[in-house]
Amino acid sequence: MSYWGLNFFGVIKHFFYTFASFIAGNCSIENLAIDEIQVLVLVFIGISCALIGSFLVLRKMTMLANSISHTILIGIVIAHVILQWFFFKDIEKPFQIDMQLLMLASFISSLLTLFLTDFFNRVLKLQKDASIGLVFTVLFAIGIVLVTIFTRNSHIGSEIIMGNIDMVHKDDLKIALFLLLSNVLLTVVFFKEYLITSFDSNFAKLSKISNWAFTYLLLLQTSATVIGALRAVGVVLVLALIVIPPLTARLYTNRLRSMILLACLTSALGAIIAVALSRHFLSVYGLPLSTAGLVVVCQFFIWGASVLFAPKKGVLAKYFFNAVSRVTAANPS
Amino acid sequence: MNKLIPFWEFFTDPVLQASTISSMLMCLASSIMAVIVFIKRRSLIGEALSHATYPGIALSVLMCAGLFTKAPGVFPFVLLIGALISSLLGMRLITFMEEKLSVKSDSALCFVLSTFLGFGVFFASRLQFSHPIWFQKIQMFLYGQAATMLSIHVILYAILTLIIALFVVFLFYQIQAIGFDKMYTKVLGLRVNLIESLTLILIVIAVVIGIRSVGVVLMSGMLIAPAAAARQLTNNLSKMFLFSGLFGVISGFLGNYFSVNLSIYLMQVRPLWRVSLPTGPMILIVAACITFLCLILAPNRGLVTRLYRRQKFQLKVLRENILKEMYKTGSGQSFIQLGRRHRIFAPILLIVVCLMRLQGWISKENKLYILSDKGTKKACRIIRLHRLWEVYLYTHLGYLAENVHKSAEEMEHIITPNLEKKLSQLLKDPKLDPHDQIIPAGDG
Repeated sequence: MSYWGLNFFGVIKHFFYTFASFIAGNCSIENLAIDEIQVLVLVFIGISCALIGSFLVLRKMTMLANSISHTILIGIVIAHVILQWFFFKDIEKPFQIDMQLLMLASFISSLLTLFLTDFFNRVLKLQKDASIGLVFTVLFAIGIVLVTIFTRNSHIGSEIIMGNIDMVHKDDLKIALFLLLSNVLLTVVFFKEYLITSFDSNFAKLSKISNWAFTYLLLLQTSATVIGALRAVGVVLVLALIVIPPLTARLYTNRLRSMILLACLTSALGAIIAVALSRHFLSVYGLPLSTAGLVVVCQFFIWGASVLFAPKKGVLAKYFFNAVSRVTAANPS
Repeated sequence: MNKLIPFWEFFTDPVLQASTISSMLMCLASSIMAVIVFIKRRSLIGEALSHATYPGIALSVLMCAGLFTKAPGVFPFVLLIGALISSLLGMRLITFMEEKLSVKSDSALCFVLSTFLGFGVFFASRLQFSHPIWFQKIQMFLYGQAATMLSIHVILYAILTLIIALFVVFLFYQIQAIGFDKMYTKVLGLRVNLIESLTLILIVIAVVIGIRSVGVVLMSGMLIAPAAAARQLTNNLSKMFLFSGLFGVISGFLGNYFSVNLSIYLMQVRPLWRVSLPTGPMILIVAACITFLCLILAPNRGLVTRLYRRQKFQLKVLRENILKEMYKTGSGQSFIQLGRRHRIFAPILLIVVCLMRLQGWISKENKLYILSDKGTKKACRIIRLHRLWEVYLYTHLGYLAENVHKSAEEMEHIITPNLEKKLSQLLKDPKLDPHDQIIPAGDG
């Protein structure tokens, strides 16, 4: 392990050194150390999440992302059963996230969530918050029961929730890269449609842009990202990466484009700092800490600092602005 | 254990007793608070608050692992307090984000739940290698383990549930007033802020009781399902509390019952599987089934009732249209002619015709349907309503004569006898409609 025994700055320095030599062509993918793969997976997933998250936050749909993060369980179980029963005839095979499962499961879970939530809300006339909450908790409960029946063990919990970033390997890097590319591609291609449907659904209707289709596409992207990131970083981290960076970016800017870029930047920054910190703790204090947890903590502190120090919307800026205006109001000269 | 356990043994058997009673208490507490969050339309707050307990649990376990290893009796209390504090912090953060930073409510909830769970994971990972047994205990809270509850839990939860029930009983009118009109309540001089913060603390308490048996993740479901079911059955807030509490208790019991007995049953059928179904998800699935049934079958608001009402109205409109048409043609018509003229699917037409014959509006002669006296009277009345409405639109609302027909086509099925009388008084019992057609007299 090339990162053994390095402290915070050492890790960052070493990472950028390797990264530069990788860009320069002196280093191939096979030579990457596990720490570099970790950083890359986290950065890729972080950028994917920030792209989706910006739209989700704007559309007030983050709770649906939360639903998705629960319903992927049932999606994965159903997809696993379908694949194993109909294609491989090997039901005893343990769960493993590969490309086929990822695709199928994300289709199933996003479709189930959106369809059922809509069904409860529109057809059964249950108020919106209650139908969101009811649908995902129940699907999650059914998912747990199914998993218990298929794997004889109800404690699949900790892996799904926290992920296992210390066990990532090159396959995860491929999945993360695939997710990143498809998310970037979809966002670039459909940027205008997303923009219009997020801000003005009536105008979207007039422009013949299907609101429903883009809501579904966004949820599909969300569920694919959540599932792809599941093994590496876990559900919580994905959710945190979906919500926190866009909210941080929102403090600095009002423009969508700059908000998305800033969100990507903060989530990448958070990932690098978190990995560096976890190595620092391990080598300096001998404390093994969950890297996924550390990423959330770092993102939270970046957000917290932004709340305090952001130029216009920050708490301090507002305080000073108020104080100055009070003073000028008192002495108009 | 190969026989199914009868339900009374869940209360007498020393092993099952504690877990059954405490799950029922927990469900009671959460279903009472569920009503309050439901009428405030903030059902998802349970989701955020239950996740927000996790870092508190992890930290207090961390403390226990360091300090109280000799006194395991203190453990539940320390956990409870830790969970309470961190959940309240989560609550504060949500209100801060919504009020001071004007973050949308859904983002604030999602932010708090993911951040707090992330912190919890962070603290828990500290324990993972140093104290693996305690780490197991933290993991238990994610999914809940009703089966490991002791009698001390029962006593603790009984007290907390009692506090919640007393709160609702004594402050019922205040809760009702705040739930329906906050500003008015403030004007009345009731202490809205105090009651609201008390409510939040009690929601947190209900969550903290719940996570032990159904787990962090499913707790939010128990804060929604019973209230949603109760809402379908009644409009009255006090009845809603009662129904919700009842559903909560029932699902608490049945969840335990099924998780034990289904596991035994599966053991008999598939001995190799060795499945033991978790209690928390079973409780929630039972609660959700109750809610689903209520949503579909509830007497006034259920899906079936609403569909039935709509279908009934559509059939009425169809019958009246056929009647009107037959009256205008004057001669008898065969079944096939009717079907062609109205473009109706034959089985439906059969039902409609049978209904009309039962009502005595039409009779059948030589395979032709003709109007009876009663039917003629009815048809006259429909035409009268149609033309009266046309006159009203024309004279009083300034419609053009060529535009009034379409609205009258709809209104003729809706106008009640009372409204007809008022209309005819207002229009001074007109004899001709805007198209110069005769309006039949009121008594046919």
